[in-house]
Amino acid sequence: MTSITYRDKTIQLASHVYEPAEDSFLLVDALLENIRNGDRVLEVGCGSGIVSVFASDIASMVVATDLNPYAVRCAAGNGVTVVRTDLYAGLKGTFDLIVFNPPYLPTSKNERLGGWDDMMLDGGPDGRRTIARFLKGIRELLSQGGRVLLLVSSLTGVSEVRRSMQDAGLAVEPMLESRHFFEQLIVLKGSK
Amino acid sequence: MKHELMEILCCPMCKGDLVLTVDEEDDKEIIKGSLFCGKCNEHYPIEDGIPNMLPPDLRE
Repeated sequence: MTSITYRDKTIQLASHVYEPAEDSFLLVDALLENIRNGDRVLEVGCGSGIVSVFASDIASMVVATDLNPYAVRCAAGNGVTVVRTDLYAGLKGTFDLIVFNPPYLPTSKNERLGGWDDMMLDGGPDGRRTIARFLKGIRELLSQGGRVLLLVSSLTGVSEVRRSMQDAGLAVEPMLESRHFFEQLIVLKGSK
Repeated sequence: MKHELMEILCCPMCKGDLVLTVDEEDDKEIIKGSLFCGKCNEHYPIEDGIPNMLPPDLRE
């Protein structure tokens, strides 16, 4: 079985599951900067579960979700408590820290390939379709003072996402950035 | 899934509480079972320890 090692953790991978890349690592870095002892953490769209694995050392509770059946099995195999659901549809209660590395690539109808390999990347025509659905009910899921860490790319439109987060009732600040060949990645932090 | 997970699971459609039925469990967690929403009259299966909270039309 293929695995990947980042910092001090080794994560098992699987077919049809997003292979952790620069975006995943940047979100891990942001999580480690932001997480507090005893936090209740939710990771949405966890893929292999890499971010949740890092959260588990510090949080009092970590739960992860994914729509992809291969991803939930892979994350469970990495020791993550996982629920198969659309975003957070099957969850209630509040969380102190919610992290999400969404499908953020602008994808037109004729670029769409279908299947799970496509779904982990396809952000709809403007790249923000899943982000918009995620932000819709997010405030209710956050504890008072709770934070959201959302990874976005320059291809997704950072200022548009910032505005959507503000419209969702969050105070937004950029946290970490990294520059790559064809895009710039940024983690936006939204606080309630 | 562990029993404690029940505290944060809800019906994905009506957000209501669920009733847990356990078919198989080991000393750590529930391996197989189902979660029932009386309001929507819908069962959500737990397989290989993972609750599947997808509405029936999205399930494979």
